[in-house]
Amino acid sequence: MTLILLGVSHRTAPVELRERLDFSSRDLGGAVQALALRPSAAETVVLSTCNRSEIYVVSSDAARAREEVTGFLSEYHSLPESVFTPHLFSHDNEAAVRHLFRVAAGLDSIVVGEPQILGQVKDAFQAAAEQHRTGPMLSKLFHWSFLVGKRVRTETGLGEGAVSVSFAAVALARKIFGQLNGRRVLVVGAGEISTLTAQHLRANGVGEILVTSRTPAHAEALASSVEGRSVPWDDLAQGVAVADIVVTATGSQRPIITRAQIEAVTGRHRRDPLFIIDIAVPRDVEASVGDIEQVFLYNVDDLQTIVQENLSRRSSEVERAEAIVAEEVAKFGVWHRSRGAVPTIVALRERFDRIRRSELNRLDGKLTGLTPEAKARVDEVTRLIVEKLLLEPTEQLKGLPDEETQVAYTEAINRLFRLRESDSLSPVDDGAAEVTPADRRRK
Amino acid sequence: MNLLPLVLYAAAVVVYAIHFAKRQPSVGRTATTLLLLGVLAHTFVIGMQTMEVRHVPFSNTSTAVSSFVWMLALSYLYLEVTTDERAMGVFIVPILVGLQTIPAFNPGVDYRDPVLDSPWFWVHVTSLLFAYATFALAAMLGLTYVLQFKEIKKKHLGYFYTRLPSLHVLDAMNSRAVVVGWLFLTIGVVVGVVWAAQALALTPNNSNLRAMSLQDPKIFIAILTWAVYSFAMFARKTLGWTGRRAAWLSAVGFVIVLLNFLPVSYFVTTSHTFQ
Repeated sequence: MTLILLGVSHRTAPVELRERLDFSSRDLGGAVQALALRPSAAETVVLSTCNRSEIYVVSSDAARAREEVTGFLSEYHSLPESVFTPHLFSHDNEAAVRHLFRVAAGLDSIVVGEPQILGQVKDAFQAAAEQHRTGPMLSKLFHWSFLVGKRVRTETGLGEGAVSVSFAAVALARKIFGQLNGRRVLVVGAGEISTLTAQHLRANGVGEILVTSRTPAHAEALASSVEGRSVPWDDLAQGVAVADIVVTATGSQRPIITRAQIEAVTGRHRRDPLFIIDIAVPRDVEASVGDIEQVFLYNVDDLQTIVQENLSRRSSEVERAEAIVAEEVAKFGVWHRSRGAVPTIVALRERFDRIRRSELNRLDGKLTGLTPEAKARVDEVTRLIVEKLLLEPTEQLKGLPDEETQVAYTEAINRLFRLRESDSLSPVDDGAAEVTPADRRRK
Repeated sequence: MNLLPLVLYAAAVVVYAIHFAKRQPSVGRTATTLLLLGVLAHTFVIGMQTMEVRHVPFSNTSTAVSSFVWMLALSYLYLEVTTDERAMGVFIVPILVGLQTIPAFNPGVDYRDPVLDSPWFWVHVTSLLFAYATFALAAMLGLTYVLQFKEIKKKHLGYFYTRLPSLHVLDAMNSRAVVVGWLFLTIGVVVGVVWAAQALALTPNNSNLRAMSLQDPKIFIAILTWAVYSFAMFARKTLGWTGRRAAWLSAVGFVIVLLNFLPVSYFVTTSHTFQ
């Protein structure tokens, strides 16, 4: 059994191609189902975000599985293979494990450490599990990846600090106001970043959101998208007076909020802080407004600087996160090899037990004089001997340090005990779950 | 015997500092545990002294400082448990260590003038010590407010920004601490005046009691303290002096408290040195 990963990501494919290969999440189940029609994959998970489309399969025939997945991608998205194959990346086994762990940790994201990806990985697994397309291998792998994602987030600063202008603005607001519940927001001018900021503020539980714009229709549209209220442009000064947070992004050539204006409505001593986020270029707010005691004025450059600092702080955490991923990949490898040894162990036990039973049968005539209890005792004793003999080899096989050693050991055991020829219960035809020694050699 | 709490408080400072820098929850819990052990040891020490001299020992400056430290530690622990916020520890616990050195190295016998043998005296001292402890908290909340305010205002989000609670929380806790402190300061002063008048009637020749007047530096400064905190509350309510102004006021108030507590008690006052 081989774990195979095929996919495109922002590292290998341009956005146009990624869009065409995207499985929107409501369709994940369907995609998994369609892929299930192809016979070679025993387990399948489809992971799709705006930056990546990745297909994880477990198969006993790696080459065929790869062909089938490529064919599926082409058919499902109605794209000739030649269009995307140059952008397709492929990892097997340990490399695929490492890739998934890095993805879950946020190390493979465009914005390193971004939090959404872990949820998307969970969704992908969930969708596949609902279609009964996850078996022992992918279940273990994906659950393990959730833990890796969580570990990296709690043990490193990889996800700390806002890395977009709108998030940075919200983080600042929280540092000034604590809980944002009940805080009044004024949005002046409806642009992309001001809309995003207003949405983030709404998601953080602010109270009323007032929107004003020179074009009332724009104000209306933004207000309705954030459950706000649009107010006439002429009420701007009044709005500033009642607001805790002001977001401005107009195309005005001259400042629309001045120090004199603010001091006229709130007096010299502001009781409560006022946080002004000026995203406009040229700026909407006079620089001297920032000199008023309780006013915190941030323009787009200030926020960009914060974002840059956070990004560089995150990248300094990458090394620690990679170390965690490496550690977990190694641990997963140990688990996986212990699973890989299972067929050999089972075959070995079968063989020993068969010998034990045939010897007991042979002796049956000589044991006729024994009471049923004594016979049961003999049976028990021989069973215990076999158990004890196999205990140490079993432990050793499960704990082998690497793939190569395992292949060598299982091969040796197969030969020494002639497991495959003599046993009718050969592990080779158990294609559903376990990795057989033969598969391993092929890799 | 006052040494053990001092050592535990000092250990707590180190661990609180590590927690502040590294922000690991387990380190934070260790810090709290050390502080709690310090308070328990301190409680034991004060309890033993009480049994020895048969009254709560705060009649001289050294024992009063010890009781003050104990109350500040308790108040801070209460604050930490109720807000689940450990960042303030690195600012508060050093005060405990600094002040605890006085009783630790200069214990002083808590001999008590029989004139002090009154429940009023107990209420007077306890209220004032508790008020001072609360003012210490307010001052440190103010200090951290100012540190963080500066970072946000100047747009250099750095060390404190990532570690301290929000400005709003710091300001609100400062305000509450000032109100609680002011309340106990008022009780302490009023009870002191009433008790001094009563005691003077009973023992008209007591030199301490005869010196109780506004001209006594200790009493004068206590009234000044009361005026400063009254103004802080008034200014917050009616002049809109929140945030940085309130923070500075509470810092000034606490400096006056400390002045009154230590140098004035040791060297200047005539009315409050019962021997």
